[in-house]
Amino acid sequence: MSVGHVARGFEEAGIPTVSVFVRAFRHVAEVMKLPRAVITQHPMGRPLGGPGDRERQRTVIEAALGLFDSATAGGTVVEIGDAWRPGAVNR
Amino acid sequence: MTDIEPDPNPETLEQFKNSFSYGTRSDLTFKFLKSLSPEDAGEFFRQLLGEVGRSLDHGEVEPIHQLIFDWQVRGYERSGPSHEYDTAPFVAPPKPVSESKVGVLTSSGHFPAWDDPNPFGVENMTQAEAEARISEFMRDTPTLSAIPIDIDPGDLRVRHGGYDVRSVSHDPDVAFPLQTLIALQAEGVIGELSSPMYSFTGATSQGRLRKQALPGWIDRVKGDGIDVLLLVPV
Repeated sequence: MSVGHVARGFEEAGIPTVSVFVRAFRHVAEVMKLPRAVITQHPMGRPLGGPGDRERQRTVIEAALGLFDSATAGGTVVEIGDAWRPGAVNR
Repeated sequence: MTDIEPDPNPETLEQFKNSFSYGTRSDLTFKFLKSLSPEDAGEFFRQLLGEVGRSLDHGEVEPIHQLIFDWQVRGYERSGPSHEYDTAPFVAPPKPVSESKVGVLTSSGHFPAWDDPNPFGVENMTQAEAEARISEFMRDTPTLSAIPIDIDPGDLRVRHGGYDVRSVSHDPDVAFPLQTLIALQAEGVIGELSSPMYSFTGATSQGRLRKQALPGWIDRVKGDGIDVLLLVPV
């Protein structure tokens, strides 16, 4: 919810924003009517991808940045369908 | 065989599931259990143990991960935000993202080693203490940390009492996309990555964030000359 307020505040101040939420918080992006949001199928606390998973992290960031070029109205929400996959972490 | 005395005050399922949320069994990946009914929490554990049992033979952990993900979604959807709006603000970016100066602000609780926000005046607060003091964080005004993009990775710290930081402790880019954006800048996908990047602890007073902190943050970040802002909540 904190970032929801930040997104609305910056957008209202003239700075375009995009936010990356995990699926569990999709309702926050929708209820708070954020300008642009990307939703990942990741567990809470791991919004961009697993540790060391640069490929997934890049996919998510590129999808988010892409909304700056493609979104034409506030409330644009795009869901990335790729399921969570663990990163490469030694115990 | 010794008889076991019955506990005169046995723990209820309600108490058990709630103990994962800042209780005796606190585990922030599973704090969503508190939002579930006792019946649903019981069903989660039944399904979880079923998948764990099956994994002994087939070795696949993906169904376990998917199950945790699905129930996290169910748990958090029941604790919706209290702030609802009717319209979404929108301004068009001034130029393509490939020519834009991109700012970043996350609620992941990152900060530079040399500029610890020292919550409540406590130096070197541990993650465990941040979790123990989560109620105080939720009443406090958040601090914005500025992190230069050329920071030595060893100087990047994280502390946040609201989520499981194990993943970001292994790799900041799980929630703080510094290396990812440096690569995208080098490839020309973005025009420029603005320095510093910013982060704060998202578990905070929403009123103080909006009324006390945010106006100053907007002035400060706009002063960096950014064209667009990427936000990453946790």
